Formats: sequence, C-alpha cells, structure tokens
Amino acid sequence: MNDALKIGILFSTTGPYGSMGRDARDGADFAMAEYAGVEGLAIEPVFFDPHADLAAYLDGARHLLRAGCRHIVGTITSAARKEVIPLVEKHDSLLWYMCPYEGFEANENVIYVGGCPNQHLLPLFEHLIPRYGARPYLVGANYVWGWEMNRLARELITNAGGEVLGERYLPLEETAVERIVAEIAQRRPSFILNNLIGPSSYAFLEAIKALGNRDPAFRAENCPVVSCDLMECELDDIAAGAAAGQLCAASYFDSIATPENAAFKARVTERHGAERRVSSVFASAYTAVRLCVDAIVAAGDDEPDAVRRELYNRSWPTLFGALSIDRETNHAALPFHLGRINADNGFDVVASRPPLAADPYLTGRNRQALPRLRVVS
Amino acid sequence: MRETPNFTGWQATVLHREDGNTEKLIRQLRLLGIHATLQWAPLSAAALPDLVIVDADQGWDDLLPWNGETPACPVVALLGSEAPGRIAWALGQGAGAIIAKPIATSAVYPALVMAVSIHQERKATAEKLQYLEERVRLRPLVHAAVEKLQAARGIDEESAYAILRNCAMRRRLPMEQIAAFILAGAEPLPEAG
Repeated sequence: MNDALKIGILFSTTGPYGSMGRDARDGADFAMAEYAGVEGLAIEPVFFDPHADLAAYLDGARHLLRAGCRHIVGTITSAARKEVIPLVEKHDSLLWYMCPYEGFEANENVIYVGGCPNQHLLPLFEHLIPRYGARPYLVGANYVWGWEMNRLARELITNAGGEVLGERYLPLEETAVERIVAEIAQRRPSFILNNLIGPSSYAFLEAIKALGNRDPAFRAENCPVVSCDLMECELDDIAAGAAAGQLCAASYFDSIATPENAAFKARVTERHGAERRVSSVFASAYTAVRLCVDAIVAAGDDEPDAVRRELYNRSWPTLFGALSIDRETNHAALPFHLGRINADNGFDVVASRPPLAADPYLTGRNRQALPRLRVVS
Repeated sequence: MRETPNFTGWQATVLHREDGNTEKLIRQLRLLGIHATLQWAPLSAAALPDLVIVDADQGWDDLLPWNGETPACPVVALLGSEAPGRIAWALGQGAGAIIAKPIATSAVYPALVMAVSIHQERKATAEKLQYLEERVRLRPLVHAAVEKLQAARGIDEESAYAILRNCAMRRRLPMEQIAAFILAGAEPLPEAG
C-alpha cells in the first residue's frame, strides 16, 4: 500500500455520553499511535466529532467517506449507528461498531465488536435472579436502548415466574430522579436494572445511595443497581463513593487479570499516566481499530469484502482474548464479566464467562432462546 | 410486544428469480434461523411452508395457491415498483407486509414480525366471524325453542329465555345448540333455575 490507509473515527466528545465518546476516541487514537512506528504501514486517522447532534453524524460519515475512508470506527448510540448505516451501505464501506447495544440488527456493512443482549443482559439476569430474586424495578433512558433492554428484562422476568415492580423512563440528561426513587423505596424490588445513561444515571446512583443510607434494604449488597453500560471513565463523574458496591456487566474491565491486559495497561500508562483507568469503551475502540487495520493488512486491501473474508477466517488475539467474528451475524464472540464498583472507583470482577457467540435476534442459535431462569432464593 | 418473535426452525419459500436481492434476503433469513428455499414457479398447496415471500413486481395470479382467498400462511411481498396495480396484487395475495427492493437487510425482521402478526389477527377475526355467522344463522332455532318453552311451562318470553340461557351456561354449550336439542325432542325440557 503506497498511499496512507485512511480510517475514519466518528465519536461525539460532548453531550450526554461525551465522557464515553472522549474515551472511545482516545482508545482509537491509542491504537493508531501504536501503528505509527510500524515500518511500511502508513495509517492516517480522520477524526470527525458530531458533538452529539444526530444529524451531524450523517454529515460526518459523508465527510469521512469523501476523504477516502472505507472504514469508519464509531458511533455510540443506536440512533447514531442507524443514521450512518444507509450511507455506509451505499458506499460499500464498513462501520466498526464497538458499543454494547440492544441487538436485533445484523448488517453486512457493520462489524459489531460490542455485545448484544445474549452477551450482556441474559448472563446478567442468570447471575442476579438466583441471588437476589425475580422482582426487579426497571429504569431507562427514554430511547430505544432503555425501551428494548427493559422489554427483554420483562420477558426474562416473566419466564422466570417473577414480577416487574415498576418501569420508568427519563429523558436524556434529566436528573430529577426523586419520584422514581420514592416509588422504588415504596415497592421494594429485589434489584434495580439501570438503563439510564450519563448524568441521569449518575444522579440516580447518588439518590439510591442516599436511600440506602436511610434504609439498609436499599444498600448495594441487598438491592443492587445493575447496569450494562456504566464504565470506568464515568465513575469519576459520580459523587465519591455513591456507586460503590453496585454492579455492571461488560466484556472488559480495567481490572481484568490477563497477561494481555497487564501489557496493554503498561502501554497505556506510558502514554496517559498511571492514573488513567482503561474503560470498556476505550478498550473496545482500541480493539475495533486493531481488528480493522490488522484485517486490512492481512487482506492486502481495504476493500470491505476482502476484509470481511479475512476477518471471518481466523480468531484474532485481542484484549478480550482470542476473538472471532461470526460470518452470518458479523458479531464478535465476547466474554461476559460482572464488575462490582469498589471504593477506589474501579470494578472488582465478581463473575466471568468465556466468550459467548452473539445471537442478535435471540433465535437460540447457540442455546435456548430466552432461558427460563430459576429463582433459588 | 411482550414475547420476542422467534422464527427458528421455520420453513420459508421465496418466490422470486434468483438475484442479488434474494441472496441478501436468504442470508438474512438464515441468521434468523429460517430455512428458505427459492423458486420461481407456482407454490404447491400440498406442501406449504410456514411463510411465503413473494415477488410482487413479477408475480402472477397462479403463483400462490390461494388466489384471492385467505392465505394459508403469512405472506410478505417484495416490491420495487410503486405502481398501484402491483400493490393491489400484493394485497390480493394476502401480503401482510412489504419489503422494498433493493432489499435493506434491516427491513426483513420487522416485515416478518408484522406479516405473521397480521396473519394471526386475520385468522382470529375470520374464526370469530364464522362463529358469529353460525350463531346468527341459528337464531330462529333459539326463538322457536323459547316459544316451545313458553307454551310448555306457561311462562313469559323473558323467563323462557332465561331458562334456556342458564341451561346453556351450565352445560357450557352455545344456546343455539341447546335450542336444537329441545326442538328435536332429544332431551327433556329444562327446568327453571
């Protein structure tokens, strides 16, 4: 390849999920920096920041494609991904999406490196129901992620013979959580599924902490707040100690004890300092860029079809362990980890599962579609 | 929607000439757990799949075995044309959803969910309608049975009707059927209460 290989990076570094966007961008940037010293490989990242304006994602994708990028790593919300996909399809390029999402999508022009519900929500409930019971309260951001995660949660709970004690939504960036917390205090659920994002989520965790101080039944060890999208880079935005003890599902935590992660963190420390914790979005963006570039190099071409073929044909050494992409769904098989927030604003891993193949439409291609979870306690 | 729709193990027949669209469609069906076969010949009424996806741009009237009648399984139309005649043809075949051509893979799952749901709704409505038609048809029997009860017991119409209705409720049978028994003399006249 004589010309520089251009890779588009599309993240919003401001707005309700700005801290995730900034970390994602840093992760992508870090991967790019690692390639900088590789002889014979010239990569030119092209960044675009839509500043959380949905319409600007389309402009951004157009800008990146016109600049000669055939591969775009990015978007965090499903709304932004859906905005970009038609253009990516039209230009026969590839979108590398790296966030956990609500599933029910498998596009040929998207490589999914984040997880779908059978990789996060299902194992999460399999862990929670026997330990805490099947009477959760569901909260979510008022858009498709919150709606669909809670719909699935309700189905899992119904199948388990449990009962959803409440389901409430907040607009993005809404921090008035008092009414929801009052209802939770009154209904006394066995756990709380939190699909809020950004400032809403932080305010909610702080209010639940205050509730737990008044009533021990709502302390994290008795009635945990569990999330599928909370990460290290957000914990500093939450009042000190407010989220300690709460749970989160992810495919990566900074604290995961593998030689690959130790080596990775040592390299991150060199660049960002020892204080910097690696979040799952940093790790996923990094991994998406690495996969993308390595597959292009292996294919000897950035033509999407050649890259896809190369991608399917082997398993790739990554931060998540050996990672494979399913040729039917274009989704990565991902490990499941459950983290408990510690007093030090990190996650202690309390449960893990080896990589689970993605089942975006919950067809039960790998296991029973929606398991009938058993309540033990 | 409470239950996540699941098509795993379904058989689908795609009635379309093989092209890039069908390739994309069948790939998407496969990842939904559906086994799809492609043919461009009339569908046999003897071996019906769980689901039919039909080319409404080129389709002709004998392609589907239920020409104009209620479809025996859910139907999705593939449509590139905007011509009212082709849309009418799709409707005439009982299509419950349309997937526009060229096919966007994201259109497939929603169309299947919608077509299956509409098919079930239509079936339930048709069954209900048939049941109600039967009852309307047999209404004169009820009337005649009420008259017979009135005459036999020397009671007014309202009381006779109440006896008949209570009897039907007790035996968990439609009133029309009880009325038929009574008129046929197949059983003794029911008592009040």
